[in-house]
Amino acid sequence: MGLLSAQDEATLKEHLSVITMPVQLVLFTQAFGGSESGDVAKQILNEIASLNDKVTVVEKSFVLDTEDKAKYKIDKAPAIVILSDGIDTRMRMYGAPTGYEFVGLVEAIIVAGTGKIDLDPETMKWIQAVDKPTHIQVFSTPT
Amino acid sequence: MAAANELITADAIEATEFMDLSRKYRVTGVPKTIVNETIEIMGGLPEKTFVRAALDLPE
Repeated sequence: MGLLSAQDEATLKEHLSVITMPVQLVLFTQAFGGSESGDVAKQILNEIASLNDKVTVVEKSFVLDTEDKAKYKIDKAPAIVILSDGIDTRMRMYGAPTGYEFVGLVEAIIVAGTGKIDLDPETMKWIQAVDKPTHIQVFSTPT
Repeated sequence: MAAANELITADAIEATEFMDLSRKYRVTGVPKTIVNETIEIMGGLPEKTFVRAALDLPE
């Protein structure tokens, strides 16, 4: 049984229809000793990917795939790395993307899949002027 | 922001799943944003206000 209702699936499919580039969702989970949220994350990502041919899920082991873990600088699981046509967007999600976090994930997928960032031009200038590594961590909950 | 600048990385973290981190950053309400371990932003803010705060830009 899916997590999304038929109506939600139809709505989501329409939102994702703007995607023009392949998006890979690289999911790191821990099979043994990990939390159940890894399974939930996997189910959610697979449901999203089933609605658009350009979205694919790549599963990785948090324990065994050490090279990829280092490449994407993953230090906790479950973790979702969002790639735009194979290129790291530097957007990460940690934990199962449920509730409000699902919305954030879909928005990130659309940014990765269109290359379009819906921000005010002045804001974009500020962001593009950043000249030092900047790590942003946003804490939220599903509800 | 991360998609717009290669120097920026952005993590969305489920606070109840990663309690050690939530404790480390004293996350008592969400959303809470931490930038470079030093800047703390509580709540959801309008776009310009948020970006200005996150990048520590003057008013």
